[in-house]
Amino acid sequence: MRKFLVSFFFFSFLVFLVNFLMSGDTRGSDGTVGVATCKACHSKHYESYAGSIHAKKAIPTSPASKDGCESCHGPGAAHLEKMGAGGAGIFIFSKKLADAEQKSARCLSCHSETPLINFWDMGRHRAAGISCDNCHTVHSGTPKNLKARQPDLCLICHLSIRAQQNKQSHHPIREGKVKCTDCHDSHGGFGTKMIAANSANELCYKCHAEKRGPFFWVHPPVEENCLTCHVPHGSNHSKLLIDKPPKLCQACHDAAGHPSAPYTSFETFKGPATGSKNRMFARGCLNCHSNIHGSMGPSTRGQTFVR
Amino acid sequence: MNTAIFILTAIVLISSPLCASAEEKKPEEEKAVTTGNVSMTGQYTDISGNRAKFNEYRDIREGVGVYVGGEAGYETEKYYLHGEAGNIGYRDQQYRFEGGQWGRFGLDLYYDQIPHNFTEDAKTFYSKPGSNRLTYPTQPPSTNINTWNSFDYDVMRKRFGGGIKMDMLKPFFFNVSANRENRTGTYPFGAAGTTPGGIAIELPAPIDYTTDAITFQAGYSKNPLLMSLSYSYSTFDNDNNNLYFRNPSNAATAALTDTLTLPPDNTYHNLDFRGAVKLPMRTKFNVDLGVSQAKSDASLLTSYVTTGGSTPISLSSSTFNGKVETQSYAFSLTSTPVSFMDGKIFYKYYERNNKSDQITTTDGADIFTNPLFDYKKNKAGAELGFRLPSNFYLSGAYTYTHVNREREDIPRNDDYLYNLGLRWSGLSFMVARLGYERLNRRADFEGQDLGGAEPWIRRFDAATQTRDTFKAILDVFPLENLNFSLGYKYKHSDYEDTILGFQDMAGHEFNFDVDYLLAKKVRFYGNFDYERAEEKQFQRTLNLTTPVYDPNITTSTNYNWTADQTNNSYGFTLGTDIYVVPKKWTLKLQYSYLKSNGNTDYAYLLNPATLAGLAPGGRTQDNIDIENWDDYSLRYYLAKITYEPTAALSCSIGYAYEKFIYDDAQYDGYQYVPATTGTNGAYLTGAYKDPSYEAHIVFLNVSYKY
Repeated sequence: MRKFLVSFFFFSFLVFLVNFLMSGDTRGSDGTVGVATCKACHSKHYESYAGSIHAKKAIPTSPASKDGCESCHGPGAAHLEKMGAGGAGIFIFSKKLADAEQKSARCLSCHSETPLINFWDMGRHRAAGISCDNCHTVHSGTPKNLKARQPDLCLICHLSIRAQQNKQSHHPIREGKVKCTDCHDSHGGFGTKMIAANSANELCYKCHAEKRGPFFWVHPPVEENCLTCHVPHGSNHSKLLIDKPPKLCQACHDAAGHPSAPYTSFETFKGPATGSKNRMFARGCLNCHSNIHGSMGPSTRGQTFVR
Repeated sequence: MNTAIFILTAIVLISSPLCASAEEKKPEEEKAVTTGNVSMTGQYTDISGNRAKFNEYRDIREGVGVYVGGEAGYETEKYYLHGEAGNIGYRDQQYRFEGGQWGRFGLDLYYDQIPHNFTEDAKTFYSKPGSNRLTYPTQPPSTNINTWNSFDYDVMRKRFGGGIKMDMLKPFFFNVSANRENRTGTYPFGAAGTTPGGIAIELPAPIDYTTDAITFQAGYSKNPLLMSLSYSYSTFDNDNNNLYFRNPSNAATAALTDTLTLPPDNTYHNLDFRGAVKLPMRTKFNVDLGVSQAKSDASLLTSYVTTGGSTPISLSSSTFNGKVETQSYAFSLTSTPVSFMDGKIFYKYYERNNKSDQITTTDGADIFTNPLFDYKKNKAGAELGFRLPSNFYLSGAYTYTHVNREREDIPRNDDYLYNLGLRWSGLSFMVARLGYERLNRRADFEGQDLGGAEPWIRRFDAATQTRDTFKAILDVFPLENLNFSLGYKYKHSDYEDTILGFQDMAGHEFNFDVDYLLAKKVRFYGNFDYERAEEKQFQRTLNLTTPVYDPNITTSTNYNWTADQTNNSYGFTLGTDIYVVPKKWTLKLQYSYLKSNGNTDYAYLLNPATLAGLAPGGRTQDNIDIENWDDYSLRYYLAKITYEPTAALSCSIGYAYEKFIYDDAQYDGYQYVPATTGTNGAYLTGAYKDPSYEAHIVFLNVSYKY
């Protein structure tokens, strides 16, 4: 009996001690329980969090400088009381347990002052029900906490862009030389399609400064929008064109003489035509009109972009 | 430069693991963490066919190559450093370095080379292809291509730059970044020997561009207010503003040098203010005000070369000062006033003012002045989204755009764009999206007062059109280890007022993606993409000397024709990762295939007898069609086995096969000199000629991470 009582009191003391150490003295008056308590059950999550930027105390606004895990997941007391069952009593970044608005709101509670994210409300991603955790993982130590590198990350959702950038004529996206964010503000902005410029042309000129001109002889659709003739991600036709010259050019230039003639299989290298073939074979119209983006050339030579 | 970078990077990558070992001995409280990886791949590559297309944006050497890359990071509680390098010493090498103090400042430096290979082993009779003076010794140039000079068409971009971000004065922030890009190489330009009606000359033109850019940004961001002001300045410098070449058409004046103008030097300034302020009822007002100015200066040519010699022209000014200014104002109010509703209204104004010199050219009896192209765009709209019961989200939007441009045929457009979207996330394992968009574009057509065929031409960039777009997307993730996505898009543009030009465009796109992990032993992945694009074009042949413009009248030399183009493309990837011994042995197998098949069905709207009699005779509605219109296929096989003796070390051995086949009517039966005179005449160089290739790659990779 004595041994039993000693064992009982000793065991009870141990239970009390463990409970005290795990939660008793760390529980805050606001319902927070402290990082150590979270770590006791969620060691793997804690370790990944500890390796991330969120765990840097040197950043005044980081979770580590606030309430640790509970900065994002909310106070853990209720969660603890419910013995952690199925995420009860706490905020979980899960597709099943929270909608996109709720999840993004958690992130924006700290990041809404980040200049890059300030226009999140204006972007298509928010409107499409995308939340921060679709692209970012709170716990990882990857650059910018991204779940994958570009373009793979973006192509998870943008399947049609994946198909386009695989085409034979493409920007070097899949080769890793052009990133999606080189052209798009993924966090929202003022541009159509979230492009990172005030117009498509101003965006294109960042890499293609030679097209900026200003030219003596201008080609109006070129000046108004590069996307009149080009697609941005990939095309079956060379130079990311929407169609092949001469057909593409003829859609606008149906003037008397050679612009109006049909160039068919008869005008190819193999074709039997006795004239006009150099408007069709190889680069078609561009064999001669190579300054199609604008010219500084003299007289009609410049006007027609052949000099 | 490359050697220095190679050595520096190698030292960093090799020394980092040593540092890691040293760091482990440091007291724990410093919490210094060193991470990184080094990857080295030995590879044997056998390429047949077009090496330039195989290496379009990369540098995989034929024969044996060793490719080294990796990254290294060092972090303490206060500071961080991170560097990465790829393909060290190769033409597509890249380096990036970041460092800073958490929450106070950060800096980055980078160097990136982007090769763009167009054609290898092109040929020309010109000496020094790729220089700004192309000449040849005797007139006419040799047509024996075996005597011509060989060269490559390629352009190399070398970008380097960096930036600093300062957060230490929060809520104020300050960023500055600068970069330079040197672009060098040879690019296929072209010129008409005589104009109009002469030969075509393909010219290997020099690319020697330098683009510099610097951006400053300063701002204040603390709820409820954001203000940011940025200024960018960029210069573009072309070492060659003209390409001087001897023109094979100028037999009588062989010594005369012809000139092709190249892009002028320019400068660009951009000033942009962005702001946002949070208002009551979860509303935010956003503003973006931007102005920019691009300028160029050039001395204009005062003569040009013809077969008859040099023709002088008179210019009202021989110096051209180009200046284009833009203004952009955008305002937006976003709001979620109640939990079930999102709203947005916006207005955007964009104006492009061309303030370049207008110079009058007098060329014999011809007097003309360069037109200046301007436009103004006003755009306004509203969007509403409703969170409905049962996890439905319904959205609708309306956008009105008015464009006013300096153009004679269609000076004004009014676009009415309607969007409707429905999203359902009622099941925890699925999200379904439906979308519909309708564009009604109205054009103020004023071409009826213009001459020639203008009353009948409707240029597709501005023509009246009705466009319907339908989208459906389904994302399904029923199990932790299974997810797949389906997407379908249909787009149809009806250019209802168009007589001459594109009359109709339609496209279907279907995309599928799946990823499945079976019992943590085998991962299957795959995707399938299909696209069909259709285009209907109606045009009219007009005789040069006696044109009859009215499309309702048909003569033997003035008649209508149509071109119906279809492109069918599809591609798929099937792959599996078999974890033979989990975390030890992994077998990867992958097969990808991509195919595009294009054709154009031409029809001369003539009776069969007249058509058959057109020179050269024998034309029928069937034998004029083009069956190979940018046809291509790409096959890719990969087999790789990976062994991981430890968590840090991994070794892979594998084989990859890549085959690209291209077939196009414009390059079939390629001839460098199909004729030396007339409109069949050309002196070509082989630019873009037959890009087909086949490559076998055997590789051995060792990676170590720490």
